Amino acid sequence: MNKSLDPRVNRLNIPTGELTPKVPLDQFGTFEVFVQIKEGKGYRHEGIVHAPNRDMAFLFAKEQFSRRFMCAGIFVVETRNVFVTAYTEDKDNIYSHISDTYPEDGEEEQYEIFHLEKRGKQHEHIGSVPAKNHQQALALAKPNFIDGDPIYNVWVVKTSDILFTEEEDKIMWNTLPEKKFRDASDYRAADKIKEFKERQA
Amino acid sequence: MYGGGNTFESIKATGLENEDPIKLAEFEARIERGEKIEPHDWMPQLYRKQLIRMIEQHAHSEIIGALPEGTWITRAPGFKRKLALMAKVQDEVGHAQLLYGAAETLGKPREQMLDDLVSGKSKYSNIFNYPAFTWADSCFISWLVDAGAIVNQLANARGSYGPYCRALERICAEESFHLKYGHHCVIHLATGTEKQREMMQAAINRWWAPMMHFFGPADKASVHSEILMRWKVKMSSNDEQRNQFLDMYVPKIWELGFTIPDPKLGKNEATGKWEYTEPDWEEFKRVINGDGPCNAERLAVRRTAEERGRWVRQALLAPKTQYVAPLA
Repeated sequence: MNKSLDPRVNRLNIPTGELTPKVPLDQFGTFEVFVQIKEGKGYRHEGIVHAPNRDMAFLFAKEQFSRRFMCAGIFVVETRNVFVTAYTEDKDNIYSHISDTYPEDGEEEQYEIFHLEKRGKQHEHIGSVPAKNHQQALALAKPNFIDGDPIYNVWVVKTSDILFTEEEDKIMWNTLPEKKFRDASDYRAADKIKEFKERQA
Repeated sequence: MYGGGNTFESIKATGLENEDPIKLAEFEARIERGEKIEPHDWMPQLYRKQLIRMIEQHAHSEIIGALPEGTWITRAPGFKRKLALMAKVQDEVGHAQLLYGAAETLGKPREQMLDDLVSGKSKYSNIFNYPAFTWADSCFISWLVDAGAIVNQLANARGSYGPYCRALERICAEESFHLKYGHHCVIHLATGTEKQREMMQAAINRWWAPMMHFFGPADKASVHSEILMRWKVKMSSNDEQRNQFLDMYVPKIWELGFTIPDPKLGKNEATGKWEYTEPDWEEFKRVINGDGPCNAERLAVRRTAEERGRWVRQALLAPKTQYVAPLA
């Protein structure tokens, strides 16, 4: 290859000719990421990351979703561990379609409930219920949400499938004061332009 | 933020004759009401295809766009500029990930998109096939290429596809830093020594033609583009975006005492539209199709990154092994 203007590219010593072909799709799993923007606020779905395991998913999520915005906590769950209901429309509450009968198999564990309260918005964490399986968790959540504003869609996740931010890890959200260079407010230049124009005049 | 306004090859047929007319009417009524389309909603194939292509090209533009600017990280003038440029490039790569995530909700895996980028099957913003010769080129990109992309992205953020709009919302929030940083860099050169001013003027001269290409050729009036406007996939025409960019930024360039290498450039006060020499669209096509100064290098860097990172990904994917005592 010709010499690049970028010293980093030259250091790569990219060989001329074909590279060894890549294997077709050997993808990492998909994880859903939930973010708490402030201490005391609820967690909200923000997006996805791809990672080989939960711990790395958490690290990628931290890089992606706490880069500049306020962030007090993150948790991640593998997408295939999210139990999703159907979607409803208009004033139709999804809970009115949830059966009161449910299977009884499984050990009792804690489940987390997420609601979509408005079309076009993201799912929000509502709370948790103890249950033996996902269907039971959904049915047990129903009495609390059947009246009131319609819920369009519910996600149910076993608490043990989620990797949460530990109390002792929270130090990672502290932004150093010397990182001002990442903010627009650090680049005021109106005075410089004014001075320049006066010099020209 | 680096996406350009253009979609590079147009789909010939709309394929609407194969769609269920009742579902299509419901879909259009939803958009008409100002509601967003979500991944689980029914949507016509044309809508899905066009959005995948648009979001994917935008994502590719973010990661490839990090290369010309990244050229100057190691030689940016001073520690603070190095930190800021690194932060900006990091943002752009993060934006690519957000956009790949949004496109994935439409059914195309991220890895497939990256494969299509490396194989040359899918495109990215043409402007990144040009080299950044000097630090001033990097300043031009940070300020004006980002500004052009912001014009395009603010329009798209009002579009109809929910996940794309939400990704753009996050992206736009980070853009104010990029724009201010880029402007700050240019002002610094503009108000500096004679040599610094010359460098900046030379960069403007080099980048003006690709900048005019950035928004793409004038849209041809077609059934296709009319449908995409109605579905809020395309929010404004390429010419409208180019005009908006010129209106906002030409005065800011002139204010710093620089000239723009186009004798015809000026605002027609009667029409409110900018007039300019028609960009060379033959050159634009030639570069998009692979014959630009940096096409080969940009893709080679991506291909090498894939090849050299492969063993790490494969090691991470390997099934977990278990420790036992050795046999002998």
